[in-house]
Amino acid sequence: MRSLLLKIEPVIWLLFGQGILIGTMLLTGWILVIGLLIPMGFVDPAALSYERAHGLATASIFGILPIGQLLLAALLILPLWKGAHHVRSLLIDFGGGERDGIVGGLLYGIAIAGSILAIIAVVGL
Amino acid sequence: MAGPAHPEAMAPPTPGRTRTAPPQMPSTWWSAKRIRTYLLFDATGVVYFLIAFLAIGHINALGAGPEAWNAAMQRLENPIYIAFHLISFASVVFVGVRFFRLFPKAQPPSIGPLKPPPGPVIQGMLYVAWIGISALMTAILAGVIF
Repeated sequence: MRSLLLKIEPVIWLLFGQGILIGTMLLTGWILVIGLLIPMGFVDPAALSYERAHGLATASIFGILPIGQLLLAALLILPLWKGAHHVRSLLIDFGGGERDGIVGGLLYGIAIAGSILAIIAVVGL
Repeated sequence: MAGPAHPEAMAPPTPGRTRTAPPQMPSTWWSAKRIRTYLLFDATGVVYFLIAFLAIGHINALGAGPEAWNAAMQRLENPIYIAFHLISFASVVFVGVRFFRLFPKAQPPSIGPLKPPPGPVIQGMLYVAWIGISALMTAILAGVIF
């Protein structure tokens, strides 16, 4: 398992790095409005009524490029890989490297499963 | 890295007159100031995991129809979710500030004939992109524009 993880390291690092870069840039506004401003009553919930939210999520440029779904896919998938890689590194620091192969495989497995769920959710809009 | 080095790995073949204690990590190593920020940066991974799965559930609800979406939006009014979102907002800002500071240091010295711009310029561009995208997304999601 460890040699496999080392072999696909570049792919993991790409997803992990973009999870920090793109994930952080997209999540900031998402958390601010959906997690804080609307639930705390600072923004009218009508701003994200079902019709408007669905319209935004399925928005496309010139009817070809599904920009809403692409952004959502990035927002849902990339943070999973940032999470998996950082939790793995945290567990190496606290638990040592002996079980790293299993722990890493498990964490990336969760990230893969989450990515598939995310794609299903975005395509199902 | 096959594992930690043997404590006696660097010992001379015959014991000398000076006695030395084997190297040992203090049990409170994680609370040392310099490693604390590093561990905190890694620990935000847990928050990113949770927020991603929460958001996946949210988009699932959006695909399921108006009732599911309204229920999902209502659920977020629970104080537990608000507290979690406060923590995750702090985590995202912490990750951004720390990572965008480290980003210029991780650049290659040159790509072919092209040299990357100086560190402060890269960092400035990242901040402009971050604040710009966040402001734009906040305005769109809150219904200010579009």
